Parts: sequence; C-alpha cells; structure tokens
Amino acid sequence: MSVQGAARRPHSNAPRSSGLEESELIERVRGRDLHAFERLYRIYQPRLARFLFNLVQRPQLVEEVLDDTMMVVWETAGNFRGTSKLSTWIFSIAYRKAIKARARWPEPVHEEPFDARVSLDPAPDEQLQHQQLHDALISSMSKLSADHRTVVDLTYFHGMGYREIAEVMNCPVDTVKTRMFHARRRLRDAMSGSMADWI
Amino acid sequence: MPNEAHNQAEELLPWYATGQLDQADRTLVETHLATCARCRSKLSAERLLIDEFQLVSPEIDGGWVRLRSRIEDRQRARFSIGGALAGFWHLLTRPAVATLATAQIGFLILAAAVLQSTSRPNYQAHGVPEAAAAANVIVKFRPESREADLRGALEVSGASLVGGPTAADAYLLHVPADSRQSALAKLRADTNVTLAQPIDGPAS
Repeated sequence: MSVQGAARRPHSNAPRSSGLEESELIERVRGRDLHAFERLYRIYQPRLARFLFNLVQRPQLVEEVLDDTMMVVWETAGNFRGTSKLSTWIFSIAYRKAIKARARWPEPVHEEPFDARVSLDPAPDEQLQHQQLHDALISSMSKLSADHRTVVDLTYFHGMGYREIAEVMNCPVDTVKTRMFHARRRLRDAMSGSMADWI
Repeated sequence: MPNEAHNQAEELLPWYATGQLDQADRTLVETHLATCARCRSKLSAERLLIDEFQLVSPEIDGGWVRLRSRIEDRQRARFSIGGALAGFWHLLTRPAVATLATAQIGFLILAAAVLQSTSRPNYQAHGVPEAAAAANVIVKFRPESREADLRGALEVSGASLVGGPTAADAYLLHVPADSRQSALAKLRADTNVTLAQPIDGPAS
C-alpha cells in the first residue's frame, strides 16, 4: 500500500523567484540598486503581508512593519552572508519587527478575519461545503495565539520546514513542533463538525 | 515503543505533507503511516487544510511607492542636511500618521494654486488662447524620471506644461477641461508619476 502521495506545494499564489534569481537580486541590492530592490520587494511583499497580518492583525500595522522590515533589508543587505536562505533572513527580520510592534499595542488585538479570496467551483453543493470549511478555517485561525498562527502559516502557506521556522522565530525546533502540535489540536476543536476526522 | 513512534510521526505530519522533511524524518513517517490508519486519515486532513490555506489571503496595500519615497527621503537627508531630519520624515511617512501626509499633499496643492495665481502673466500674446496657459493640474514625477519620461506622460495625457519645477519638484500642467478626468487617470496610471491632482476645484 502506498502512503505517500504528492506533497502539497504551499504558497502557490505568491509571486516567487528562483534561489539563483534571489541571490542575484540581493547582490545587486548590496550595490544600492533600487530597481533590484523593487523586484525583491515585489517578490516578498505578498508573502510578508500575509505573514505579518497573521501576527499583528491590524492592516495599518502590517504596512508599517512590512516597510520597516524591507528598510532593514535595504540598509543591511551587506550583512547577509548567505549562511541561511534569503527568505529565512527576511522573515526573521519581519518576525522581530512584528513582535516589537505588537508590544507597542498592549490592548487586546481586535481579531479581524482574513479577507477571503475564493473560489473556483461552480457546483452549488460542493461550493457551499467548501465555503463552510473556508469560513471555519478563517474563524479558527483567529482564535489561535500569535505564535501558533505564525507556525501554522509558515508551515502550510510559506512551505517552511520546522528547522527554518525555528530560525525565523529564534526558538528550539522542539518548540516549533510543540506549537504546531497544539495549534492543530486547537484548530481541530474550533473546526469540529466542519472537518470530519480532522486530526 | 509504538506510542513514541506514533507521537513522533504525528508531530511531523504537517511537514511531511508539504514535502519539507529530510530523508531520515521522511522514512520515520512513512514507516509509521504504513501501519497506522489514523495517521493516514490525519495526513488527508493535512492536505485538505494546505489546499484551503492557498485560498485565504489578507488584502494588504502594495506600498512600493511609499517605501521607495522613504528610501529616497532618507538618502536625500543623508546627502543634504544630514540624518537629523530623517527620523522626523520617517515618522511622517508611517501609515499611522497618514493623515499628516494627506495634509502635506493638500498644502502642496494649495501652494501650487497660489503660485499659479501669482505667476500668471498679465498680458496675453496674440493668437494664444488664455486657456492654454492656465494650469489646472499639478504633478510630481519620480526623482529618477528622465526628460523623455516627462514628455511621454504629457503626450499620452494630452497635457501641456505651464510651469515648474516648483520648490517641491512639482510641475503645473494644463489639460483641456472636457478631458480633465481622463487626463488625470492617464497621468496617475503612469509609473513615473507619483502625484497628479487638479488645482482648479472638482470637475464640473
């Protein structure tokens, strides 16, 4: 019996470039090439926006943290030595900026649901079922802690492995695994009835 | 220990589903999946969830123009008056004080209108209709724009140059009243243009 099946390829909606192209871009950014930086920005903006929205959950704060993150990339591109992936470096900057930004907003964060971008299927029954699952996912995600949302999003959407996530969040790999384990448990509880046999 | 193997495999399922495990972890998970129907069911759920995640996305403003302005402002501050004002300008351009930025644009438009009223000549050459000399739109171009870019923007929008650059590097243009909206739309669609605003009040 085969248990494998094709691995899902996350972040299929996000503009991407090859590693080679990114390494060329960051090299040019080191040389203060603003056009190269614009290309890098356009590759990372959608991914960072989504990542940061999960963390800070305020559109205006997302813009601010995203700008701050990319300013650090522009200003300190010379410090990137290529010992980690460029995405890991950029996401770890964004994570630190987001944590600091959240600290400036001590009041409980107003949980705004994701804006949904759907959908494909014209069949009414299937579409309804799909929409229910979609709504349940949005609602369930908003009930997770920021750390749990971050691990779930980096795994499922950004396609990062647990070691890379640990690097981004500056924590042990076991912490990442534990956070993911509990996040899935909480998603299961919140989505009970919407997703049969989920976990 | 079967329970320990189950727990280890279950922990790794999300990254198995996304293809992000190394060979050792993948072997561990696949060995367990071959004998655990419960984990196979969970793997199906993982894949369903990953598919759903692809359809969920927050709507966040693009913002490249804003970031580029911030970089250019910082560079200008470094090369001209030093870094003392950079922090203040950074504060002004943050989204949290976007209303201040809006006020800045309003001031720019007001200043241009004053400039227009005070600089309009009191004479008129024969054969030149007055409307051709009256500025009714103000534009700003990206600092790196070339003269050919400016000419191209004017030709596409049907605008003619009346004055500028002002102290704020803005230009005063005239566009025919009956095509003002479409001219503004064309100017705003031009990637070299960072600001295009009417300065003669709302369209009638």
